[in-house]
Amino acid sequence: MLFVVTVVFFAVRAVPGDPARLMLGGDADPAALTALRQELGLNQPLYVQYFQWLRRLLTGNFGESIRTGEPVLGSLAQVAGPTISIAALGMVIALMIAVPTGILSSVKRYEIEDYVSTTIAFFGISMPAFWIGIVLILVIGVNVDSIPTFGYTPIDEGVSPWFRSIILPAFAVGFPYGGILMRMMRSSMLEVLNEDYMRTARAKGLSSNLVLFKHGLQNALIPVVTLAGIFLAVVLGGVVAVEIVFGIRGIGRLLIGSINRRDFPLIQGTVLIISFVFVLANIVVDLLYTMINPRIKYGGGE
Amino acid sequence: MSEPLLDVRGLTTSFETGQGKLTAVDDISFSIGEGEVFGVVGESGSGKSVTALSVMRLLDDAGTVEADEIRFNGTDLLSLSEREMRNVRGGEISMIFQDPMTSLNPVMTIGEQIAEVVRHHGDVGERTGFWSEMRRKYVTGTSKESRSWQRAVELLETVGIPEPEKRATEFPHQLSGGMRQRVVIAQALAGDPSLIIADEPTTALDVSIEAQILNEILELSDEFGISVLLITHDLGVVRETCDRVAVMYASEFMETGHVDDIFEDPHHPYTEGLLASIPRIDDDREWLSVIEGTVPDLIDKPAGCPFRDRCDYAFELCDRPLVEYEIEGSALETHTVRCHRENEHVEVDDSGHIDAVPEEAVAALERRIEAESPGDAGGSVTSTTDVNARADGGRPTSPATGSENGGDQDEY
Repeated sequence: MLFVVTVVFFAVRAVPGDPARLMLGGDADPAALTALRQELGLNQPLYVQYFQWLRRLLTGNFGESIRTGEPVLGSLAQVAGPTISIAALGMVIALMIAVPTGILSSVKRYEIEDYVSTTIAFFGISMPAFWIGIVLILVIGVNVDSIPTFGYTPIDEGVSPWFRSIILPAFAVGFPYGGILMRMMRSSMLEVLNEDYMRTARAKGLSSNLVLFKHGLQNALIPVVTLAGIFLAVVLGGVVAVEIVFGIRGIGRLLIGSINRRDFPLIQGTVLIISFVFVLANIVVDLLYTMINPRIKYGGGE
Repeated sequence: MSEPLLDVRGLTTSFETGQGKLTAVDDISFSIGEGEVFGVVGESGSGKSVTALSVMRLLDDAGTVEADEIRFNGTDLLSLSEREMRNVRGGEISMIFQDPMTSLNPVMTIGEQIAEVVRHHGDVGERTGFWSEMRRKYVTGTSKESRSWQRAVELLETVGIPEPEKRATEFPHQLSGGMRQRVVIAQALAGDPSLIIADEPTTALDVSIEAQILNEILELSDEFGISVLLITHDLGVVRETCDRVAVMYASEFMETGHVDDIFEDPHHPYTEGLLASIPRIDDDREWLSVIEGTVPDLIDKPAGCPFRDRCDYAFELCDRPLVEYEIEGSALETHTVRCHRENEHVEVDDSGHIDAVPEEAVAALERRIEAESPGDAGGSVTSTTDVNARADGGRPTSPATGSENGGDQDEY
């Protein structure tokens, strides 16, 4: 995390552009500029700024937005809802697509089902989330009245409107992720199908469905779960772009806006939170991993 | 013993490959009596494992199995539906595979892996439908009170695993190789089968464990009256354990007979070569003898003896199709060889070589080939049904082999 903090801090400042000048306009009075820089603490040497920021971070203070003066955490909390909803539903959609089609195409290898599903997965991997979003708006959003193409309805205004407002962006985010996972599921299941224990299971007289789902599935999921955590970045990256397409005020929009305005504390805070979520998700994945793979046990044992 | 337990006639298994048709098993016939231990010995790639998998119908779509019949307990396995075949697998015929490291499922407890066989083939009254099994696997787990689980624990105890209640809840990686193979044996016994096919059961194990595991298989099969088809490349193992043995080379059975006949009086040059290559403790040879050359390519295999290019005694009949010759004077079991040197009209000189082939020999061979040609299985049956007939007038197999094995095992 410290590494992330450091990289974000310096990368943000390496980008050309001066927040004070952006706020006051191109032909601002030099004295006013200096005064504003003084106020924002931008006139101090970089390392001083860095350590000040770090010290405040340790006490849980993410600072205030340069532009609005609001606390960074507060503005993040305001827009977190849509982002979390879209990302979560997107992952659910991805898994619901990836696991069954991955299994299907491994079982029907080199048959029509396999070609169809790998082709769809290939599209998913090749198309960026925001483009899928645009296509979805054009094809479904415009033709189906009950599904809005724009904006977000919070969940406390009803589950159904909430769900309808995020289904398209979630699909746009989930599809590329699902494509990646499906291909992993397929190759991992193909490997499992050749394992000796699958032959043993058939030699026990189990039906082919039982062999596949009782003996195969869990083994095939092990590598998929690992990579699902790593490729979570695809979802998070997708959400940022998709929010713009669907005009949803989420963390992604906030981030893009703050980068455009060189709102250093807000950029830093947002990136930090996103990377924190990423790390957290990977911890969850690791815990899940120990559940499905009995060969891995953390914390000793006998 | 009127009818053998397993009777395989004219089994041929082939695979379509990019380079052509690969014949992995070429027209083999054998039978296994009740309580008998039948060995198939041969080098790697000779088709031993494919033979086993063909009998179990466990080859995937790539392999084509053809046979006049594979008769097990009176039913032809080839005529069964897939559903009926599932009752045979694990329940009537079970398998022990080579490598216990990979043949057990790494994410399932060993107790459940045994218990599921009990549920599917035993009479424990537990549901074995797809959703019941899935719920058991992913939601509830197998109940420790269930009869199948308790039977699994009993079986673990039977195969000599200490603390079976505790071990049953463990995963395969928590056990040593020898222990795992014991689990595999327990799994093979769980369906109460009448035949166990053991495919190189000790090849992946340490030599020190090998004898224990073999003894375990043989004692238990003897105790429960189970016949064993033992596949191995180890002649020592065959000698210690089997009643009858078939020597397999390049997808064909070269010589079949009682272990003592094969070891004391081998007739096929390949068998002789194999026996000569076993190192002996009283040897003062500096080099072990080897069989020169390599196994022929099994893709688009030509007719004739597959061993002829490596054979010291090869002569002009060797590129003719092989037929089975019965060796006279064998006291124990019918002893058959597929080598044209046994043709009654061919004269073999003292060194084993053949100078000239008389015309009667060729004529006799052609008559035999004619009689055995496809579409007329009668010829091959006449010459091979005797395999089960007893040359010594019916010495009972089971008790005799039991005591023989007992004696052999003590040597370990």
